[in-house]
Amino acid sequence: MYLLRLALASLGNRRFTALLTVFAIALSVCLLLAVERVRTEARASFANTISGTDLIVGARSGSVNLLLYSVFRIGNATNNIRWDSFEHFAEHRQVKWAIPISLGDSHRGYRVMGTSPAYFQHFRYARSQALQLSSGRAFADDPFEVVLGAEVADALHYSLGSELVLAHGVATISLVKHDDKPFKVVGILKRTGTPVDRTLHISLAGMEALHVDWQNGMPARGAAKVSVEQARSMELKPKQITAVLLGLNSKIATFSLQREINEFRGEPLLAILPGVALQELWSLMGTAEKALFVVSLFVVLTGLIGMLTAILTSLNERRREMAILRSVGARPWHIASLLIVEAFALALAGVLLGLLLLYVSIAGVQGYVQSHYGLYLPLNLPTRYEWTLLGAILSAALLMGCVPAWRAYRQSLADGLSIRL
Amino acid sequence: MSAALIHLSSLGFAWPGQPELLDIDTFTLQRGESLFLKGPSGSGKTTLLGLLGGVQKPNRGSIRLLDQDLSTLSAGARDRFRVDHTGYIFQQFNLLPFLSVRENVELPCHFSKLRSSRAVQRHGSVAKASSALLAHLGLQQPALLERRAGELSIGQQQRVAAARALIGQPELVIADEPTSALDADAREAFLELLFAECREAGSSLLFVSHDQSLARLFDRSLSLAELNRATRLAEI
Repeated sequence: MYLLRLALASLGNRRFTALLTVFAIALSVCLLLAVERVRTEARASFANTISGTDLIVGARSGSVNLLLYSVFRIGNATNNIRWDSFEHFAEHRQVKWAIPISLGDSHRGYRVMGTSPAYFQHFRYARSQALQLSSGRAFADDPFEVVLGAEVADALHYSLGSELVLAHGVATISLVKHDDKPFKVVGILKRTGTPVDRTLHISLAGMEALHVDWQNGMPARGAAKVSVEQARSMELKPKQITAVLLGLNSKIATFSLQREINEFRGEPLLAILPGVALQELWSLMGTAEKALFVVSLFVVLTGLIGMLTAILTSLNERRREMAILRSVGARPWHIASLLIVEAFALALAGVLLGLLLLYVSIAGVQGYVQSHYGLYLPLNLPTRYEWTLLGAILSAALLMGCVPAWRAYRQSLADGLSIRL
Repeated sequence: MSAALIHLSSLGFAWPGQPELLDIDTFTLQRGESLFLKGPSGSGKTTLLGLLGGVQKPNRGSIRLLDQDLSTLSAGARDRFRVDHTGYIFQQFNLLPFLSVRENVELPCHFSKLRSSRAVQRHGSVAKASSALLAHLGLQQPALLERRAGELSIGQQQRVAAARALIGQPELVIADEPTSALDADAREAFLELLFAECREAGSSLLFVSHDQSLARLFDRSLSLAELNRATRLAEI
């Protein structure tokens, strides 16, 4: 105990270097834990984007590609699915529910998704959570109604009753706008932390109405134009959609239905299991995530080496201190323990300050990260894994403390009681 | 038990790979005696003190302290033996500047149970012992005891070092040029205090210095250069 007092007093005497060392360790610890938290949360929120869906069906392409455009709204479909194919499988005896998805339009960089009311009823994310409206209602019979994801409403400052114009295509700056057919906001969804937040949802009829008068991929001109009123009175049945989410009566049927869809004679289709495709996609991104983790481990190592350097350089100027301690009865192992205690105290202070920094910064950026990246960084106590990491850092510091301890041990044996200036 | 506190006989010591530095036929220090040992630099003074402290072992001969042959003890036992029976005062910068005056004085009691229990026996507690010693040495203001040792003047620091050497009444006090940083008046005043305290504690004083003018204050005076046959031979 007295050694601890001596070590702390001696550190206090060198408080400027000690503080710098502690701060370097604290920053590295904070970085490591922050990377770890972002990593864990990214993985969790990634896996949380879709749940309860047994099969995703699209035109035949790659499974990652299908997952990307149907769930993450990234990239484009290479081909569409005919409406009668959708009807065929929606009425399959194994299928409990089917959600049609029609993509291709956007609004100021956010994707527009045409779907059916089944979407609000059956779509699940995270741990089987259903979509909830924070205000308004789902779209109904009128084709020109839109339900906004939380982030879209926040970022673009839309509220119930706002009117907006959709753009053809998915580029942020689109030259062709559907400005003859404005949509009215009837509902805003609660935040989910998934791509749903960044989506505008309209009915398939609305999607059809936007394009009802188009010819060969170009908007109609003059007399061929169909007005809003005319569109409302037309029967707006989609001819094709982009993808389908399927929920089955029994999980056991998943594989047989998947095979049936993949071998469908009507048109080339692809059915994927969301979990498997998510795994595949994550293994692609996992490398970057691991690299980040390794880099932050090295930053911690750098911090500890900084500590080692600071202690080692102090040894020479502390020969007097060691000799005085020896003259009042400290044995060489006392001197060695003093240095190990010192290294441990520095690392412990660094770890604690690092934790403090972590919590302060999480509290500071939590809202921003959630709204901009859809990542929820929790302010909870360190997890078991994080404790393990911190324990490993402290053990590494103890181990490193052995280096100056050994040197001081040798030095104090050689110097004895003689004080060299 | 003999009256000799220190007894060296046919002692020889050389650092590895170097010629013999110390060659002392016999040397004795009596209990309660104060001895002035004149030692210019290079006379093997530091090495002799290291041997007496049990930090080094002689190559030949024996060092007996309180009838205990130091060379038969293990390194750890020598360390313990040293702090139990010897107090040290060095030239200057004797103190740990980051500890308070009181903590500096009490340092030996943290490493020696014997000295701690003697201090308690005599004064009631280690804290009282350090206050009493410091007061005898002219440092009685209570506020001073809690100040950082580094803030004191050199003269005050040397008195604190003396208090530290004397706490728990070790049988031997070794002073290595403790007055060289003090001016002439302060030197004698410091020595008077040191003598008085050594008498009070019943400690022998081995005082090493090159300042011959102080020798007259001691019971006995010796020259290390004469004692050490190795340097005499080298000079011839």
